[in-house]
Parts: sequence; structure tokens; C-alpha cells
Amino acid sequence: MHAIDRRGFIKALAAASSVSILNIANAHAAKIKARVVVVGGGFGGATAAKYLRLLDPAIDVTLIEREAVYTSCPLSNEVISGDRAIKTLQVGYKGLTRRGVKVVHDEVTQIDPVKKTVLTASGKSFGYDALVLSPGVDFNYGAVAGLTEQLAQTSLPHAWKAGPQTLLLQKQLAAMPDGGTFIIAVPPGPFRCPPGPYERAAQVALHCMHHGKKKAKVLILDANDSFSKKSLFEQAWKALYGYGEGGMIEWVSGSNDGKVERIDPENLTCYTGFGEHKGDVINIIPPHHAGKIAKNLGLATFKDKWCEVKPESMESTKEKDIYVIGDACIGGELATNNGFPKSAHMAMSQAKVVAANLVAKFNNQPAPQPIYTNTCYSVVAHDWGFSVVHLYRVQNGQWVYIKEGSGISPVTFGSKEKPEPVPRIYRKLEVEYADGWLRNVMADAFA
Amino acid sequence: MRKQAMALTLFWLTGSAIAAMDIDVLARTCNNCHGVGGVSVGTSMPSIGGLPREYLKSVMKQWKNDERGAATMNRIVKGFSDDEIDALAVYFSKKRWVPVPQSVSAALLAKGKDAISENCEDCHGLTGSDPDEDAPKINGQWAKYMELELEKYRDDGFKMPHRKMKKTARKMKPADVPAAAHYYGAQSK
Repeated sequence: MHAIDRRGFIKALAAASSVSILNIANAHAAKIKARVVVVGGGFGGATAAKYLRLLDPAIDVTLIEREAVYTSCPLSNEVISGDRAIKTLQVGYKGLTRRGVKVVHDEVTQIDPVKKTVLTASGKSFGYDALVLSPGVDFNYGAVAGLTEQLAQTSLPHAWKAGPQTLLLQKQLAAMPDGGTFIIAVPPGPFRCPPGPYERAAQVALHCMHHGKKKAKVLILDANDSFSKKSLFEQAWKALYGYGEGGMIEWVSGSNDGKVERIDPENLTCYTGFGEHKGDVINIIPPHHAGKIAKNLGLATFKDKWCEVKPESMESTKEKDIYVIGDACIGGELATNNGFPKSAHMAMSQAKVVAANLVAKFNNQPAPQPIYTNTCYSVVAHDWGFSVVHLYRVQNGQWVYIKEGSGISPVTFGSKEKPEPVPRIYRKLEVEYADGWLRNVMADAFA
Repeated sequence: MRKQAMALTLFWLTGSAIAAMDIDVLARTCNNCHGVGGVSVGTSMPSIGGLPREYLKSVMKQWKNDERGAATMNRIVKGFSDDEIDALAVYFSKKRWVPVPQSVSAALLAKGKDAISENCEDCHGLTGSDPDEDAPKINGQWAKYMELELEKYRDDGFKMPHRKMKKTARKMKPADVPAAAHYYGAQSK
């Protein structure tokens, strides 16, 4: 029974006969320590809901999510190349239901932080003691002239939220002729999945190599001057697909006029400040920002795009008892350019911090010392992968990036003066670990 | 004097109370890849819940000190203090060992049994559930993971610490590697 139904039900009965109903309501209240509403059922929201129930079954947890099935963004580039079935990335919400999470498939339309209620499109209302927002991102299509949401759904998929657009892009790539050009336009950072566009370039090249399209070109038009795991990507691109002049993959940096400003959807042409690039498949990743439900509430205080939160708890710096996790938030050591990467693993880590914090709070215990970790694999060929790991602790109320527990896979072995190639077994292992990671995070969040 | 003693007691009390709580928080970060309670569902990632404390501790310390090669874990553990590593080893060693027996063809099982009696049984036991002191349980461990571990021991470019394990893994016939891994992966007890 949904919250509003129950309340309406109790009210109606209370009007008919008072005493016994109040007793039922009180008995009910005595068993439940607190009500938490989680908005958004991606890796972050699902993990928060699950761990709240896991750590304290006396907490009433409602998860509100639009879709009945979740599709993982991590490893969805392998779907585009045709290497992975999208089914392996999909999961429903039965696992959470079994843990006692009340899963509601609906769209949140309004949040009242004063009355502490959440309203949905179908007219339901949910009261909360704590609200966890994990809304992901929404796209700013207007930032690229000529691009619209409708075009993204029909002919110019961004596929930056896995699902139908991933399959559409896969189809377009499969139909691309030899000698064709696949353009990936990267928005200014920070964006969801920092290494994603570059892994995508490799997966597209991998498809072309194995499908008789050795003359194909993958052109990355980038608004930025550097990117995540750059040395590892460039090494792999070079060795596997050819990179730069005459190679299959080419990268144009922001300061080299890489930023796409306008698109002509009819002629499949991208316009940068001074140049134009015609493609056969155009994959524009529009700039994005915190999901609109968080943004509309005024929580996106960082550059009007991302939600700032407190390091010890992930509570919004703007609204009490509202916690923002996942791609919508911003955190980490921003001053040293070591912010939280917008990744699934990071979202889950943040969700676990919120769960531990709320459970301590509702049980009148001191808040535990938080710790934030990230692991992110990129798969660039069947036997070539690599990763980055991050570790953050909180000291004196600030996030501290722990260098010793962070970093990318080695680019070379040996010494700086005498570098040696990294044995291939390392690259192969990380492809296997990427798959193991996926299966485990899906279970850790949703089962 | 008494004040000092009280402060010390207080420090000890609060210190240990926080530590007890925080190890749960720290251990939960392992769940992403090793499963809740250290029971993995990803075939390339090992289950770690219920493995011997000494084994868990020594492997993590070897990664931290670059005495054991790794693709990912060596970077992760370098951020943990020795106390945290000890606490994680205790935490996961206290969990129940949950074998996940994987189905295997009768032919591969038979081949695997021959392979392990020749190479592995002395230290890991007939089913992998009752190994020597410094060895992990491997009954119902993921076959894929064990195969990859054996490949590490067999690869010249991969730094592995255990001399006996290295020597044995290297003398195995190539086809015996997956057979042995699948044999132990199939064991429930």
C-alpha cells in the first residue's frame, strides 16, 4: 500500500470509529524508527535503499523510480560494438522488494523540504524523515545548436544513459560502411563517466576492425584538453587501431578547435568554432547537469549544475535532511583537480556513506568515519583493459584525496629512463575483472 | 596522574568503539567487487568471506609492499594502513565460507581430479575445503578466478611470491590448468 493510500485509509476509518484505529497507527509508528524516501533507482539510489534495510530493518524505505528495468551504463559501450548483449546489463527491482524496500514506479514532480514530502506524477505523496536524491543527470540539448531531445531519440543518439539509445547507436554503427566516419563529440567536463567517450572510441574501432571496415575513422571532437586515463588510451589506440595521422582513431582537443558548437542533422555535419566535420554516424554527448528534480529544488549550487554536499554525510549544503548522491553531486578534492568521478562505483560508495550515517543518526549513535572509494574499468579490446582507482577520506570536515590508494593501471614497467612494456596478462586480467566487477556491483546494488 | 590515566582510558574506549564501527564501513567498500559478506557473484573475482585471517592479511600486505603482482588490488590496498589491513583480514575471516559449486562436465571433472591429485591435493586437499594453514579454501571458489590466478603464476612477467605454488603451477600441462580450476570450482564441501 502506498503512503497516501494508507493515510487516506486510516483517515477514512478514523472518521467512522476513532479509538481502535489510533492504536493501530501507534503500534505501526512504534515499530518504524524513521521513513526514508530514495528518489532514483540507479546504482546510487538502489544501493542506498538496500543498505538502509540491510543495516536497520526498522527503517521504512521507499524507492521511487520511473522505469521497471534498469540498464547499466558501465560496459554499455560493449553493446554498441556488438560485443555484449544489453540483457547482461539489465536488472529489475525484485531484489530490493525482497529486502523490504517499497519500490514505487512513478515520477517525482515536487519536493517540499519544509513539509518534508515528495509528490509524484500520479498524485501520490510520501512523507520522509530523510530524503536521498540520486537522480542522475539531465541533458542540456540547447548547448549544441540544432540538437534536440527528439533528435537524440531518433537519429543522433547520445547513448549517455544506457537503453534504447545504446541500441540505436549500435544499429547505426553496424550499418556504417567501410571508409565511414564515426564522430564522438565530448562536452566540457565534468561529465558522467570521465573515460567513457574514449572507451567508446576504442569499442567502435574494435567493431570496425572485426567487421571489414578497416578504412573507417573514429573522430573524437573534444571540448577538453585532456582526459581520464589518457596515456593508457593513447597507448592502446596506437597499438590496436592506429592513432593520429593515418590511424583509425583521431582526437581533436578543445584548444585545437575540438568543441562542437552546432550540428546540421540533415547533412550529419558538426560545426566547431572554425571547422566543419561530416560524419556517417554522429554521437553528440550533450553537456549535462544534476537531474532536474534536484536542480529545480535549488540544490545545484555548483556552477548552477551540480549539487554540493557535506563530506561527512553527503547531506546537501542547501537543504537539511536531503542527501544527494551519484552523478548529480560534486565532491572530492576539487582544488587539486581530484574531484569525485561521476561513476557507478563512486555513487555506490556515497550511498553506503549515507546509509551508515542515517542508521547511526536514527539510532542515536555517533556518525561513523566515512570512506569513499572508486574503481572504474575501461575495456578497449577483447584482451585489453585498464582501470583507475580512487580513495578519499574525510579529515577536519574536508575530503582528502589519498594519493597512495589512487591511480591508473601502469602505462609502462621498468624505470623512467628505461621503460618496459607492461606484460599483456595485466591488460587481459582487467578485461576479466571488468566483467566480474559488473556482476558484483549489479548484485551489491540491486540483489 | 589520575587525570592522565582517565584521558588514556577515555581515548582507548572511544578509539576502540569508533574502530569497531568503522571497520564495517571500510569492509563495505570491498562488497562492490567481492560481494556482501565476501561472497562474490562475478566469476573473475574471488569470494573472500571465511578465508583464513593469515592468508588474507599476507596477500594484502604483499600487494602493499609490491611483493605480489596485481592488476588492480595493489593500487587499492596501498591506501589502507596496516591496522586497517589487519582489521579487514579479521572481518572477512569471521564470515562464513560460502562455496558456489559450478557445474562441469563429467569428463572435465575426471581430468581435473587427475590434475589436482598430481599437483594441488598435497596442500589444498581433495576438495579444497581443508587446506594447509597458509592456503585459502578453494572448494566452490570461482573456476574462472582460479584459472586466472594459475595463469599469473605461470607468466614470466607476473610477480608472484609463493615459490612452491609457482613451481607447481609452471609444471602443469596447459590443459590441466582449466581442468584443475573447474574441478575445485565444482566442489560443494
